[in-house]
Amino acid sequence: MTQLQARGVVRAYGPTPALRGVTLEVAEGEIVAVTGPSGCGKSTLLHCLAGILRPDVGEVTWRGHRIDTWSEAARSRLRRTEFGVLFQFGQLVAELTAAENVALPLLLAGTGRREARTAALTWLERFGVAEVADVRPGEMSGGQQQRCATARALVTEPRVLFADEPTGALDTLTGEQVLTQLVRLAREQRTAVVLVTHEPRIAAYADREIVLRDGLVDHTGLGLDVPLAGGAR
Amino acid sequence: MRPTTLLRLALAGTRTDTARVVLTALSALLATLAGLAALTVLAIPTPTATDENQDRWSEQYHNALLAQPGLRGGTALALLMLMIPVLALAGQCARLGAPARDRRLAALRLAGATPGQVTRLVVLETGVAALLGTLVGLGVHLVGRNLLHRPDAQGQLALPTDVLPSTGALAGMVLGLPVVAALATALMLRTVTTSPLGVNRKAARERGPGPWAGLLIGFGVASFAVIRPVVHRFADDDEFLAWLVPMLFVVGALAAMIGVVIGTGWLSYHCGRLLRRHARGPAALLAAGRLMADPWAGSRTFAALLAALIFGGGAAAQRAYFGTKDQLEREQSRFAGLDGGTNPFYLSTMDYVDGAIAVAILIATGGLIVALVEGIVARRRAYAALVATGVPRATLSRSVAWQALAPAVPAILLALTVGTLLGRGLAEEKVSAGGGSTMICDATAALCEDPATSAQYNRIVHIPEVQRAVPVPLEHLAWLGAGALAAVLVTIGVGLLFLRASTALDELRTA
Amino acid sequence: MGGVSTPHVLLGLLAGGSRHGYELKRAHDERLPRARPLAFGQVYATLGRLERDGLVAAAGQDRVGGPDRTAYALTDQGRVTLDQWLSTVEAPMPYVASTLFAKVVVALLVADVDRARSYLIAQRAAHTARLRELTTVKGDPAATLSDVVAADFAIAHLDADLRWLHATLGRVADWHREVHP
Repeated sequence: MTQLQARGVVRAYGPTPALRGVTLEVAEGEIVAVTGPSGCGKSTLLHCLAGILRPDVGEVTWRGHRIDTWSEAARSRLRRTEFGVLFQFGQLVAELTAAENVALPLLLAGTGRREARTAALTWLERFGVAEVADVRPGEMSGGQQQRCATARALVTEPRVLFADEPTGALDTLTGEQVLTQLVRLAREQRTAVVLVTHEPRIAAYADREIVLRDGLVDHTGLGLDVPLAGGAR
Repeated sequence: MRPTTLLRLALAGTRTDTARVVLTALSALLATLAGLAALTVLAIPTPTATDENQDRWSEQYHNALLAQPGLRGGTALALLMLMIPVLALAGQCARLGAPARDRRLAALRLAGATPGQVTRLVVLETGVAALLGTLVGLGVHLVGRNLLHRPDAQGQLALPTDVLPSTGALAGMVLGLPVVAALATALMLRTVTTSPLGVNRKAARERGPGPWAGLLIGFGVASFAVIRPVVHRFADDDEFLAWLVPMLFVVGALAAMIGVVIGTGWLSYHCGRLLRRHARGPAALLAAGRLMADPWAGSRTFAALLAALIFGGGAAAQRAYFGTKDQLEREQSRFAGLDGGTNPFYLSTMDYVDGAIAVAILIATGGLIVALVEGIVARRRAYAALVATGVPRATLSRSVAWQALAPAVPAILLALTVGTLLGRGLAEEKVSAGGGSTMICDATAALCEDPATSAQYNRIVHIPEVQRAVPVPLEHLAWLGAGALAAVLVTIGVGLLFLRASTALDELRTA
Repeated sequence: MGGVSTPHVLLGLLAGGSRHGYELKRAHDERLPRARPLAFGQVYATLGRLERDGLVAAAGQDRVGGPDRTAYALTDQGRVTLDQWLSTVEAPMPYVASTLFAKVVVALLVADVDRARSYLIAQRAAHTARLRELTTVKGDPAATLSDVVAADFAIAHLDADLRWLHATLGRVADWHREVHP
């Protein structure tokens, strides 16, 4: 069942077009990789789908409701309840401990402090970083930080997780451990994942791969500017 | 490095760097104006004594503060004191965009620049900006003295627009300030200029700042309190007093001021701890985390404002003293049937002091805005990421407000208390009046004037000695506190405007 | 990737004690998951050669069940050979030789850019599919570390191939001009 849909999404930064009419669908519990060369509009597409950015033209719908016309407050609420967002790095609040960071979305939703902390500790445990619960991000390794960030993105049990190069700042082994755990938990919860990456081996975690090139979906799946012979076209 | 290269690199900044240069220039301008005003007052010539003018007053001015040679030193000192919040403002401006600049300088070091070259770059930026400021300041002063040169009907002037400090003094001001600013900047950047890696990880601070601030405050208050006994004790030893009293004054004021500023760090940390333990919402939690992670941010932010408030508190106590004294003397005179002829001179002087304090609070508010905005802009990526994950902007706004107000309220109270203690230490706690006798004449002027008749109307009145405790000027202090709080609230308002811009999600585009 | 040295693997499996041919096959398939499964015939043929060279010796038959039931043990000479093999560093890619690479070269020689390109595209799709398959195996909660390590080995090589395929697709036209000036 299609949950999230983009139709003809166009988005420009000043005169520079980042997306030039992208249409795609994400089904419930589906893991979709969005790949393509640098500057193809991957991150912008993710931001539009997550309701972080509004498309200039086109529409984004969530369970049949058009969300791109919603107010910032309404989209914020959607992001914090139904969506989870994960970036390459830097999304943890430097001044809060790991447990406080993970508890933050729950506190925003009005959960009591004690309950939020218990849930945060459970999620830190799932990602194997329970030992840094009371440590601030600056004193953790990159891998621990990204595990905490992933725990924070999943703590609300979102319906869609948007991950923008989530392993980009990690070494291969750590990156794969984080991603394997993320995908496993997403599948358990039937959380759909939109995974932006430029690496084939990261994209291989997805059920399906969407390739962007120059702001459009590249149906050849190549992400390369090559003339194609008759058969492959 | 060629001068052109140096200039090119010095100008290779972002908008924040431009803002820093402009603000540095602006604070140099303000400092120049205050300094030139002080120098001008000092430059007023003292006329030779004549029969009509035995006190050697400069009679071209209305104002006794300018006319009396004995008061001019104090006036100049008060004007120089205005430079303190201005310099604090300059210090806060220097922090603006500092993390980005530190990284840029570290990158230059990595690219092979020597520590000397990098230092020269920074010194050039600050020095040139400050020089621009002082030159404009000099211009404003020169134009201003022409515009304000308006003798009234008696040919008297409101301001000393007829004198100009010596060329040497002017040059010293205009050139000296940039040199001092440049040296201070070089000193502040010494860690970066020595390390190509620039940013070093801060070690975890497990415990908050210690309570040594209390010792400094205590020392400051004590040294003010001993001034009067010392004057009393060594009344015959003028030379000894001549250096001891100013020293006690300066050292005590500095100690109290540093104590309050450091104490703000302690207050920030403990406010953060309380908030973290008891706060319910995420806004308070975010604020608490920030307060505990960098308790000195509060000290840096509020330094100028707190300095102004300490002076304000001290001045309020002094005014209460003069006011009570004045009132008591008037009552005594009325009791004796005399017209209240007491000179309200000290009270009108206090009006000037209060005016200066208001200006200082205004300047400090400027510093406050710069510091708060700098803090917001510096962590704009973190804010943008939070907004992306669905944290409402209102929550972030509330956390900024908490973060500013939580330490500000106790710090303002502390500064006013310390200021009042200093002021009361200096002045007597009780005023007394009377204790003498006077002869009055109960008749018309004509009868009293006439030696033949005056005797029968004259009588001697004894004025009993009355003592009265000087009250704590609670109302005045409340107004100061309210003013400071208003300044903080205005600052928060401006900060929230910047927060909107800083959470623009374009900040997430990093690639 | 060079072929697997089956004789040395069998020597290694015998290092822990004597085993039957059938046990050897089972141990091989368990320790080297995702390798091509060993055929019984191959096990016996290899054991025969090893016995002839004096590297293994029959350690007795426990039952009257025919040659199936012959257990083999490592000889001293076999242990030395195994040790030498383990101490020898494999030459890292001594020759750039791969069917994949050769096929593109030949396609360029005998046909045109389009032919080479469509091969590259088809190969890329096949590689991608296999990469996803192995990633799924690895992510299975029931996967053992042996499975994960084996899958990782293949994933790393597929990933390298994919990068090469991608880069070559972008260069194939220029390459063709170099081959046919």
